[in-house]
Amino acid sequence: MNEILKIENLSYVYGKGTPFEKVALDNVSVSFEKGKITGLIGHTGSGKSTLVNLLNGLYKPTSGTVYLDGKDIWENPKEISKIRFKVGLVMQYPEYQLFDETVRADIGFGPRNLGLSEAEVEERVLEAARFSGIGDDLLDKSPFELSGGQKRRVAIAGIIAMRPDVLVLDEPAAGLDPRGRREILGSLRDYANRMNASVILVSHSMEDMAHYCDNVVVMNSAKVYRTGTVNEIFSDAEGLISVGLDVPMISRVAKELTSRGIALEGELYTVNGVKDAILRYVKEGKR
Amino acid sequence: MISDITLGQFFPGKSPIHRLDPRTKIILATIFIVAVFLASNPATFLLLAITTVVLIGISRISMKVILKSIKPLVFILLFTAILNILMTKGDSAPLLSFWVIEIYTEGVARAVMMALRVIILIVGTSILLTYTTSPISLTDGLESLLSPLKLIRIPVHTFAMMMSIALRFIPTLVEETEKIMNAQKSRGADFTSGSLVKRAKALIPLLVPLFVSSFKRAEELATAMECRCYRGDKNRTKLVKLQYKGIDFVFTFIFALIFGGVICLNIIPYKFDSFGLIYDIIFYKV
Ligand SMILES: Nc1ncnc2c1ncn2[C@@H]1O[C@H](COP(=O)(O)OP(=O)(O)O)[C@@H](O)[C@H]1O
Ligand SMILES: [Mg+2]
Repeated sequence: MNEILKIENLSYVYGKGTPFEKVALDNVSVSFEKGKITGLIGHTGSGKSTLVNLLNGLYKPTSGTVYLDGKDIWENPKEISKIRFKVGLVMQYPEYQLFDETVRADIGFGPRNLGLSEAEVEERVLEAARFSGIGDDLLDKSPFELSGGQKRRVAIAGIIAMRPDVLVLDEPAAGLDPRGRREILGSLRDYANRMNASVILVSHSMEDMAHYCDNVVVMNSAKVYRTGTVNEIFSDAEGLISVGLDVPMISRVAKELTSRGIALEGELYTVNGVKDAILRYVKEGKR
Repeated sequence: MISDITLGQFFPGKSPIHRLDPRTKIILATIFIVAVFLASNPATFLLLAITTVVLIGISRISMKVILKSIKPLVFILLFTAILNILMTKGDSAPLLSFWVIEIYTEGVARAVMMALRVIILIVGTSILLTYTTSPISLTDGLESLLSPLKLIRIPVHTFAMMMSIALRFIPTLVEETEKIMNAQKSRGADFTSGSLVKRAKALIPLLVPLFVSSFKRAEELATAMECRCYRGDKNRTKLVKLQYKGIDFVFTFIFALIFGGVICLNIIPYKFDSFGLIYDIIFYKV
């Protein structure tokens, strides 16, 4: 089995024992595989960020267990900070965490905390910068001089520089322009392949899921609604709509065509998939 | 977690105390504070303790919340109590004595009263003000109470606005601190171990982003206010005007009675002897 991270019966309650008690995760079980990109999707407030904060031990589960390589990450609470080097978490709006004088130093913060030598830190900084598309000319600038999208990339590079086995990104593309989106999300496949890492991508955009992920976990009001491959998940458009999500635009086109008697088959959630399906349909129709 | 701090947190509700006019609550809290400091004998403390318990009951704030607000004080309370017990010398024979330590009734009495004073003060004012009054109405009340100062050109409104903005952003700041802390922890930052210098240094990755975003937020807020033509209180009217109601007079009357009671009870003479009231309360009744 290629499984690296697994959660079992995980629950999390905010403000337990106060008037503001709120169950943010309710008995959730999922597993994540090496070399695969798993999308975590759900409408706002469905518990995605909470789940993600549990994966690297920032929050302690109210009940349930997180297993990394088969070991409970809370087995030894004193060692929890070591887990954070293995499960790298890029938080939502990570650009607010930049603090150092130069981009180079900021990206190097994680590796330095790992206790690496300066030479190794430098090597990792350069590698991470390349992964996240940060040009060499930016490395000696102050992070506060950069644009929003560039800051975001620096923050992501700061996590990648630790070379985590599991890379978790909480809505990394929120608020970016389409090109920034493509560039950031596109580099994830590269990371997953080269490091044989498991990448977990949180998003509420179905288009992103369809484009960049292998597997999808759909969350709905603190629970896992469904898990499966992209194909399996998108074949159930009604289910997705019922939990407040939107299917990709192109899936709607395909669905509309089908409902008008043009029965399409195949991967009906990317433009290319639907194009192929239509071409196939047309060819078969001519025969 | 940092957000567990309840001291100074508002719990929305509909209890009679929630419905009091903020000005009344500020005045009552002032009376209460003065009364607590005037209190000097067990009977007065009993009266104030009962008042506090009744206030808790009326406000329907859960006991758990209140205990939690006292929790941070437990250490300092214990510390001063122990000092009081050990350092106070009485006239009568010591209650207990071994080695160099001598404990007198006076010391115990003083320790208990000190602790009670602090607890009653914190709980009473929290119930009257912070737990049951939203920050906005609190500053509204303050502004209205202080408005006579406008006559001598003190910009009361500006101060009130500054205060409400500061209060409004405390939770935001706490939340933000927690978020940045988590982000840096995700990068392996360690805020809790190492020498003092190391720990102070570890705060840099927390403080820099916090300052940057606070300045940014302040600037954005100022711009947004200017865009809506905010010019202080010139020609500004209020959506909800403060208005005293019957309940305000009832509470003020009751508090006046309690205050009178405190002053009268204070006159009751009592001595730190083994037959004194305090001795009874501590060693037989409780
Ligand atoms: N710090 C917090 N305190 C209390 N409740 C919270 C906190 N953070 C999130 N929640 C609540 O938990 C639920 C899940 O939130 P979150 O995990 O942030 O959802 P998502 O990331 O999917 O939008 C929401 O209802 C939210 O209001
Ligand atoms: Mg979120």
